[in-house]
Amino acid sequence: MSAITEDYFIYENRGPGTDHDRYDHRSLRSVPHFTWPGDKRLLIWASVHLEFFPMDMPSAPVKPIGGMDRPYPSVWDFSSRDYGNRVGIYRLMEVLDKHGVRATAAMNSEAAARHPHLMSEILARDWEIAAAGVDMGRLHHAQLSKELEETLVGESFARLRGLSGQAVTGWHSPGHSQSAMTPDIVAAAGGKYIFDWINDDLPYGFRTTAGELTQLPLSYDLSDHKILALQNMPIGDYEYQLSAAFDVLSAESAQRGGRILSLSLTPWIIGQPGRIDALDRLLTRFLAEDGIAAATGEEIRQAWLSVGPKG
Amino acid sequence: MQKWREPNSYDYAPYRDRPKITWPGGARLAFWVAPNIEFYEIAPPPSPTREIWYRPEPDILNYSMRDYGNRVGFDRMADVMEKHGVRGSASLNVAVCDHFPEIIERCSKLEWELFSHGIYNTRYLYNMTEDQQRLIIRDSAETILRASGQRLDGWLSPAISNGETTQDLLAEEGIRYTLDLFHDDQPMPVKTRSGKRLVSIPYMMECNDVPVLNFKNISPRNYLEIIKAHFDRLYAEGADSGTVMCLPLHPYLIGQPHRLHILDEALKYVTAHDGVWLATGREIAAWFEKNHYDDFAEWMRPFNQPTSPEAAQ
Repeated sequence: MSAITEDYFIYENRGPGTDHDRYDHRSLRSVPHFTWPGDKRLLIWASVHLEFFPMDMPSAPVKPIGGMDRPYPSVWDFSSRDYGNRVGIYRLMEVLDKHGVRATAAMNSEAAARHPHLMSEILARDWEIAAAGVDMGRLHHAQLSKELEETLVGESFARLRGLSGQAVTGWHSPGHSQSAMTPDIVAAAGGKYIFDWINDDLPYGFRTTAGELTQLPLSYDLSDHKILALQNMPIGDYEYQLSAAFDVLSAESAQRGGRILSLSLTPWIIGQPGRIDALDRLLTRFLAEDGIAAATGEEIRQAWLSVGPKG
Repeated sequence: MQKWREPNSYDYAPYRDRPKITWPGGARLAFWVAPNIEFYEIAPPPSPTREIWYRPEPDILNYSMRDYGNRVGFDRMADVMEKHGVRGSASLNVAVCDHFPEIIERCSKLEWELFSHGIYNTRYLYNMTEDQQRLIIRDSAETILRASGQRLDGWLSPAISNGETTQDLLAEEGIRYTLDLFHDDQPMPVKTRSGKRLVSIPYMMECNDVPVLNFKNISPRNYLEIIKAHFDRLYAEGADSGTVMCLPLHPYLIGQPHRLHILDEALKYVTAHDGVWLATGREIAAWFEKNHYDDFAEWMRPFNQPTSPEAAQ
């Protein structure tokens, strides 16, 4: 008697397109040539993750990068992450200011609530605020009830809207983790775009029960989370990979049409003294070419809806 | 269930004084590229043997990471290979023929070989009866024939989930070469219970982008060094007897903008050498089977004689 039964060999979704209803399959190659507003071909999108890791956070079922690695009370882990909101972010702001880059601040609402001064610095720079859940101990995943998830999403949007005065249209699920319902709940809470799925280099339409969201490309493989904190590579390898990505996307944008290079930045990671200069060098290089500009997530969403090819 | 102490799929063969392999045109090294064109299901039926996804489903991070290959990475990777005149031998989750036929059309246009990597990469051979595994092999052959007109000659078990007798089943179902064995740097005869011929072709995990970049977290710039060093040694050894080098790839990794140049530089390097035969898996297996299989089987025999009465039983 096999543990595999006959119905295992009936493949219900084996047909044209992908195996769920959230979005249509699209090959990037098939997207017709287009140009971003202002005759730009490549947009640099800086997302800055402002995170709060509670010292008593759970480590299951999904542990985000930066979660507590050592036994409770891990003051080491807690204070190393908290460093980002005290020190790293101000280094990051200095470098982004120097290059005239306005970022999307993807904030845990708890980080915003705990640091009003930080919020005022962000607003003074006219950065965009996007909602990134409540804190890094409350991830979105299949084991949450719908009611609890609605509460978390609602709290995140409401507090960030209240503290910033902005519309707050973007949503980033902490740790790129969603339940099957997260996009529906986000859209119902007034979200307009998400940046959690890592399957493209351009935006695409994402269906929900509360209307269509735009999914924006936030690279995970090029994030400081992954390269520096998960893969433990030296900063030289970060700089090398971002630079190589720029070369390919820049060439592709000249030949095939508009592209986006996302910079997924985390103050407690890239904001270390021995790392921040790499970002400075990269931005110097990226912004030296014609046809390249920085934009925020909401600006990219609106640009995509106005000039991006349908489909 | 009694577990096996070893796979019983091959005999011992020292890497010394082997029968000389002579490739077409006197080439030193047969170079082949095996892009894995995969489909991971977002909600696969559970496996009794292992967790399929890393996070509670839907594991959108890992699902979408792989989806990138079929949306973005494949075309970039294929462009670079086309530029260097290198054909692929696609290790195909054959359901891709049904989901994304435009990918198969491009493979056909580029004259790539298609071989089977199972139906989906989220469907393992673990826990399957022999008859159930035969269903997978036959489905693969029928799907590839329907989608491309090609005969199914090669096999890499989905997620390398092969069981004790999978190699026997492959031979009985008419498969000609397997990539499931990692025991050698040259093609080798595979032992099968039917005596039907099956050739093992090197599929080099040392140069495979998944273990290198995802499991071992090696930087792309070191990946290029690994590929070149691997090639240099095999090319030098190929002066005495033909060697094989395989570059196994995954478009969701190599087709990322920060990694594409590795492939470009690696293929530029390899194709700059005169003594390279740019082959497919099928071509290497067929050449070996026709010209060298018998010599190898005969030469290996003395190394595999029973050495004690106990072993002879």
